[in-house]
Amino acid sequence: MAKHTGRGLAAIEYPSGMNQNGDPSQAWIKVKPDGRIDVFSGTSDIGNGAKTIQSQIVAESIGVPYDWVTFDNSNTDSSPVCTGTFASRATVIAGNAVLKAAEEVKTKLLEIASAEMEIGPQDLDIIDGEVQARGAPSLTMDVADVAAAATYGHGQLITGTGAELNAFAAITNSETGEVDSPPHAAISYAACAAEVEVDDETGIVRIVRMVQAYDVGKAINPTLVEGQIEGGAVMGLGLGVLEDSYPYYPSPDHRGSHFGSYFVPGMEDLPQIETIIIENPSATGPYGAKGIGEMANNSQPPAIAAAVHDAVGVWVTELPITPERVLRALDAKAAGGGQPRREGKHIVFDEELSVNSVASGISWTSDS
Amino acid sequence: MNITVNGDELEVRSPGLTSLLRVLRDELDVVGPKAGCEAGGCGACTVLVDGAPRRSCLTAVAAIDGAEVTTVEGLGAADDLSPVQQAFVHYYAAQCGFCTPGMVVAATHYLDSGGSDDRKEIQEALRGHVCRCTGYVKIIEAVAAARGGNFDLTTTAEGGYTTVMTGDAK
Repeated sequence: MAKHTGRGLAAIEYPSGMNQNGDPSQAWIKVKPDGRIDVFSGTSDIGNGAKTIQSQIVAESIGVPYDWVTFDNSNTDSSPVCTGTFASRATVIAGNAVLKAAEEVKTKLLEIASAEMEIGPQDLDIIDGEVQARGAPSLTMDVADVAAAATYGHGQLITGTGAELNAFAAITNSETGEVDSPPHAAISYAACAAEVEVDDETGIVRIVRMVQAYDVGKAINPTLVEGQIEGGAVMGLGLGVLEDSYPYYPSPDHRGSHFGSYFVPGMEDLPQIETIIIENPSATGPYGAKGIGEMANNSQPPAIAAAVHDAVGVWVTELPITPERVLRALDAKAAGGGQPRREGKHIVFDEELSVNSVASGISWTSDS
Repeated sequence: MNITVNGDELEVRSPGLTSLLRVLRDELDVVGPKAGCEAGGCGACTVLVDGAPRRSCLTAVAAIDGAEVTTVEGLGAADDLSPVQQAFVHYYAAQCGFCTPGMVVAATHYLDSGGSDDRKEIQEALRGHVCRCTGYVKIIEAVAAARGGNFDLTTTAEGGYTTVMTGDAK
């Protein structure tokens, strides 16, 4: 009877948003007379940082300081439509909607600035809240003055709208399965390496260390990305060894209904966690971003299962890997029944091809 | 019955066996303490009663007649955050924020009682508080930093991540 340590690795892939499933996100932006930016987007922030990310995209795209941007989705009636914050779609789908709206606002700001400065709009850019003439950085006009001129001189309200939609796909070829709209180009990849300690007397699996590597395309806010990966890691730990909604005998009425019987990871379960952010840009996400919201907790359970096998030589093929399941597997192994390793899928991964196709954009024609 | 909430002495008219959590939220409109499990299991309702952390959901209001109650609102204001609150903001220690009031109250008590910035000791002190979003990493970082109190509030925290670049953005 002893404690055994083991290591396991699992790799996964995951799309950003709903693929060919008709999930619109809309945004509109208006510029106040003092140059401050109001963003109206239907995408709710459930703690994933959607407001922060979209405000960053708007500030970066227009060329104004982050704290000039106000993000308002407090009212359903005044917010444009967004399908919702789910499917790892907020940064990519809603982010593209605000990006398009912000680009329209920038174009209109430069048109007004062009009339005021008597310089062609193609020779102007907005940097840190100031319209500057390209090549002549001393020729400037504050965005606040541009907005005031639009309001009080030109009689205009500067606005921009944007929307992102992966239209519903209609299957056109029943033999090949080819469809009439492009597939997702924002696919994220990730891996987790887990180190565990398994007690072969009690069956308890303790997670000692987890290293997560996530390809996020572009970390628009690295600290928020890190927070999502860390949070996902501990959720994955829960899925791997603790959380079970339906093992309770003899009927579903006896499933865990409070924290004494449904085991959510607590601080004492926290292993050593390391995070590696990989930026392999997507062709379609804003600034190359990909969504990782859901996949953040998908790589850990299989890595833990592989680590348990490495430690004590049994495959536990149901989650969570509870002490009971570990002990039953060890008993079966001792009785000679054994657990043959299942044959996995063999996937050939061409890194060069993958990076090139993802980073350079995917060409698509409807009749290809 | 009377209790003092964040410095204000208030009369309580709810029945004596009403939980302190329900008195605060429903009668006195002090909604910082969150109603999570209401069974003592999650820590989101934690308040200080005469300086000691209590699960307000399990505390009958009659049992603390005359006591001083401090909720997260009593620790600081939006324009005058306490050191622990500043650290939580700085280290992105909240995602959805539901556990945050209880975490901040408990962490404040831990540090005011001389708690160290040692990770294991912080885990031990806050282990009764459940967080679903953060994986606890940034909460522990924030509490440790609040002990030292030396972080620059004008920038976000340095993440402990490694960034690997492949290819070019479009």
